[in-house]
Amino acid sequence: MTITTRDPRTESAPGPVAEPRRPRPRARRNSRRPVWDEEPSLPATALKGLALTAISFLAIYPMFAVLATSLASQEEIVEKNGLVLWPDSPTFAAYEQILSGGVVTDALLRSIGITVIGTLCSVTFTVLMAYGLSRPRVVGGRFWLMSVLFTMFFSAGIIPNFLVVSELGLLDSYAALVLPVLISAFNLVVVRSFFMGLPQELFEAARIDGAGDFRILLTMVLPLSKGVLAVVSLFYGVAYWNAFFNAMLYLDMDKWPLSMILRQYVLLGQPVADNAAMASEMAAPTQAIQMAVVVVSLVPIVVVYPFLQRYFTKGVITGAVKG
Amino acid sequence: MSAAISASALSRRNFLGLAGAGALAVTLASCGTRSEGTGQVSNAEDALLPKHVPLQGLTPDLPGTADGVPPGFFSYPEPFRSVSDVPLTGETISAISMFFATVPNGRADNPAWQEVEKRLGGTLDINAVSDADYESRFSTTVAGGDLPDMMLYATTMQDHAGFLDKACEDLTPHLGGDAIEAYPNLAAIPELFWEQCVMAGKLYYLPIPRAVTGGSGFFNAKRLEEVGVTDTAEIADADTFFDLLGELTDPSRNRWALGSTSFGLTPFRHVFRVPYEWRVDGGKLVKDFETDEYLAMIEYVAGVREAGYFVPGSEAWEKNQMVNKFVGGQTAIIYDGLPGYATYAPSASDTFAPAPFVPFGHDGGAAQTHQDNVLFSPVMLKKGEPEQIERVLRVANFLAAPFGSEEYLLLNYGVEGVDYDMDAGNNPIPTDRGLSDVAVPWKYLAAPQQAVYFPGHEDQTRAVHGGYSALIPISVPNPVASIYSPTNTDKGGTLSQPVSDTAQEVIAGRKTMKDLEKAIATWASKGGDTIRGEYEQGLAA
Repeated sequence: MTITTRDPRTESAPGPVAEPRRPRPRARRNSRRPVWDEEPSLPATALKGLALTAISFLAIYPMFAVLATSLASQEEIVEKNGLVLWPDSPTFAAYEQILSGGVVTDALLRSIGITVIGTLCSVTFTVLMAYGLSRPRVVGGRFWLMSVLFTMFFSAGIIPNFLVVSELGLLDSYAALVLPVLISAFNLVVVRSFFMGLPQELFEAARIDGAGDFRILLTMVLPLSKGVLAVVSLFYGVAYWNAFFNAMLYLDMDKWPLSMILRQYVLLGQPVADNAAMASEMAAPTQAIQMAVVVVSLVPIVVVYPFLQRYFTKGVITGAVKG
Repeated sequence: MSAAISASALSRRNFLGLAGAGALAVTLASCGTRSEGTGQVSNAEDALLPKHVPLQGLTPDLPGTADGVPPGFFSYPEPFRSVSDVPLTGETISAISMFFATVPNGRADNPAWQEVEKRLGGTLDINAVSDADYESRFSTTVAGGDLPDMMLYATTMQDHAGFLDKACEDLTPHLGGDAIEAYPNLAAIPELFWEQCVMAGKLYYLPIPRAVTGGSGFFNAKRLEEVGVTDTAEIADADTFFDLLGELTDPSRNRWALGSTSFGLTPFRHVFRVPYEWRVDGGKLVKDFETDEYLAMIEYVAGVREAGYFVPGSEAWEKNQMVNKFVGGQTAIIYDGLPGYATYAPSASDTFAPAPFVPFGHDGGAAQTHQDNVLFSPVMLKKGEPEQIERVLRVANFLAAPFGSEEYLLLNYGVEGVDYDMDAGNNPIPTDRGLSDVAVPWKYLAAPQQAVYFPGHEDQTRAVHGGYSALIPISVPNPVASIYSPTNTDKGGTLSQPVSDTAQEVIAGRKTMKDLEKAIATWASKGGDTIRGEYEQGLAA
C-alpha cells in the first residue's frame, strides 16, 4: 500500500493568483499521516520551547549558582543567605586561595595524569578483549564473557579488593587506581556489540588477503569504530576523573587526585553531628572556596565533553540495541 | 574504654559504616580466639594510671582548675624547649589518623612538615582521611594486617577488646605510675584524661585531651540584647525561655530564635537535666531516653518547633548554612561545640557578638551539662619490641608538647617567617600559607591538655574561658564510661538510631510521643536490656 503525504508547508505557500489572504483553516491531522509530518501548531511549539527552557534552567541554575557563589565575598554570601546568583563585586579571592598553595593544582595535574593514562589503558584492554570475544568460535569465549558480566552484578567487596591490591604490592601507587578497574563490563559489552555489528564480509575479505587478527583490528575495525571508542573513552575518562573511593583506600594524601581533595572540602561542610567532639573539630572552609573547588574540578570535563558529544548518541544506541 | 569518648563515638558513627565493621570482625577473628563476655569489664581504678607531673614555670593569665577548666592565655609565652633529645635516629613511624581541615601542602613543599621531621630525627608517615571515610580506611588497614605504629581509635570495632589484647601494646609498664616521667610532656597531661585510656584494667591508649565538655552552643548577644536579655543566666525557666524565643522570632524580617542541624538538642538536654547516656538509679541503670526528663525535653522542643521558633527546614542544614544564618543574625541561638567559637569570633560586628550559651534549669533549678568532650579520641599503639614502643612514645611525647613550648608553636603554627609572624604582642599570626602547612594531622595522634588562646584577642579568650568555668562545674560524666559492653560496641549505635530518628520525627510533627515510647520499648527488647545488663554487671564488679 502506498501512502501519499502532502507537504503541509505547501498549504501556506502564496499562490500565483493574488487573492485576499484568508486565515488558514485549522489543520486537521490526517490519522494515516505520521505525526512528524504535521506542522507543529504555535501553542505546541511554545509549549515545547517552554519545556526545554525549564529543563535547561534546571541544569544551568545550579551550575550558575556555583559559579556565582565562587566569585562572591563571604560577606555577600552571608548577606544573601548562601545563595548568590549575581555577585555584586566579583572577586577571584577563592580561586587565588585554592590555587596558590599548590595542593589543588598538584592534585589537578595528578587527576589529569590518572585520567589520561587510565583511559588509554582501559580503552586498549577493552578493545582487545571485546575484539576477541566478538569473533566467532573463540575457545572459551562464552566463559570469559560470562566471567566479565559476573563482575557487573556481583562485587567482591571492599576488604577482599583491598587485600588483593595489598598482596600485589600496589598500595600507595597510582596503578591501584587503574588496574582494579581496568575493564568495565558495561563498556566491554558496548564495544563487543559494535564489533559484532560490523559486516562479516569485510573480515572474510581481509582474511583472504592474508591479514591476521591484529592487522584486521588495527586497520579495519578501529577506523570503523571511532564513534564507539569515543563514547567508551568518555565513559572511562569521566569515571577516572570522578573516582575517589579507591584513592581514599589505597593512596596517601600526598598522592590524592582532585576528586579526593574536592571530597575533603565538601565533607567539611557536612551537617554538624549533635556531638561536641565532632562538632568542635570541623572548621568548614568558606562557601566560596567550596564552590571554587567544584568549578575547578568541572572545567576539564566541560572542555573535553563537546568534542566527544557528537559520538555520544550513536555509541549509546549501539550498546542499547545490540546485545 | 573510656566513657565520654566511647559513648559519643558509638552514637555518631555506628550508622556510618556497619558494613565495614562487620568485615572487620571477620578479619579480627584471625587475631586469635578469646573468651568473649563482660569478663572484660573494668574500671579505671583497676589500672595503674600515669603519675601527673605538672608543667613548671608557666603562669597562665586565667588559671585552669583540677576539674578540667583549661588555662587561658592572652599572649604566647616566651617559647621554651620541651624536648631536648631527638626522638628518632632515622627510623620511620607509621600512623593512621583523621583530619578536619583542608588537605595540607605536600611534604616537599611544606617547611613546617620538614622541620617537624627534622626535630623528630626521622619520618612520621601519617595516613589520614576525613571522619566520613575513616571507618573504611581503618577497616581495610586492619584487614590488610600491616598495622601502623599509631592508630587513632575513632570508629567502632567488633571485639575491640580482643583486638587490643592481640594487636595493641599494654602501655601500663611503659607509662604507669612513675614510668611516665621518661616522657615529661605526656606526664603533664592530668589524670582526668588518662582515666579515659583504660580498657580491661590496662592502659591501652594515649589521650588526645579536649576541654571536658563541648558546651551548650552559642547565642548572639546582640540579638538577645534587643529583647532586653544580657545573660542567659537571667532566664528563669523553660516557660520564660519559650517567651524569649517568641520575642526573638519575626518571620516577616527573616529572623528566628533557633536553627541548628537536627534541631540542636544538646542545649535542651542540659536544660532538662537529661543524663549523659546513662543514669544510675538505685544500682539500676536507666538509659538517657528512658527518663522522664528526656520525654519532657522532646515534648518541649516539639512545642517550640510548632510555635515556629525554628527556621523551617533548619534541621537538615549543613554546617555552612548554620554558620551563615547565625553570623548573619537570622538565628539567635545555635548548637555547635564550644571550641568552634574560633569559627564565629572573627565575624564579630555591631550586629553579631557570639557568646557561649550557659544553660538554665527548666524548672528554675540548676542545669547540667555533659562531659562529652574529655578526649577527642584515644590512640592505640601496635604491639612491638620495647625499644620500638619507647621510640613511638618519644614521638608521642614530642607531639604532646605543651602550650608555651617551641614544639607546640611549630606543630600548631609552623615555621616563623614562613607560616606565621609574631606581632608586637607576641602572638603568632598565620601567613597565607600557614594554615595549609600545619594541616598535617599531628594533633590527632597525641596532644597536650588544651589551653584557651585566641592570638591577639583577649576578649575572646576571656569569653571562652568564662564559658568553660561556668559549664564544667555543672557537668556530669557517663557513669559507664570505662566499662566495656560487647553488645553496645557491636550494635549500640544501630539500636539507638531508630529512637533518635523517631524523636526527630516527633519534633517535626510527623510522629507522636506514643511512637517514641514504642521505639524506646523496641530498643530495650532488641538489645538495650542486654547492654544494660552488661553494664550493670560491670558496675557491680
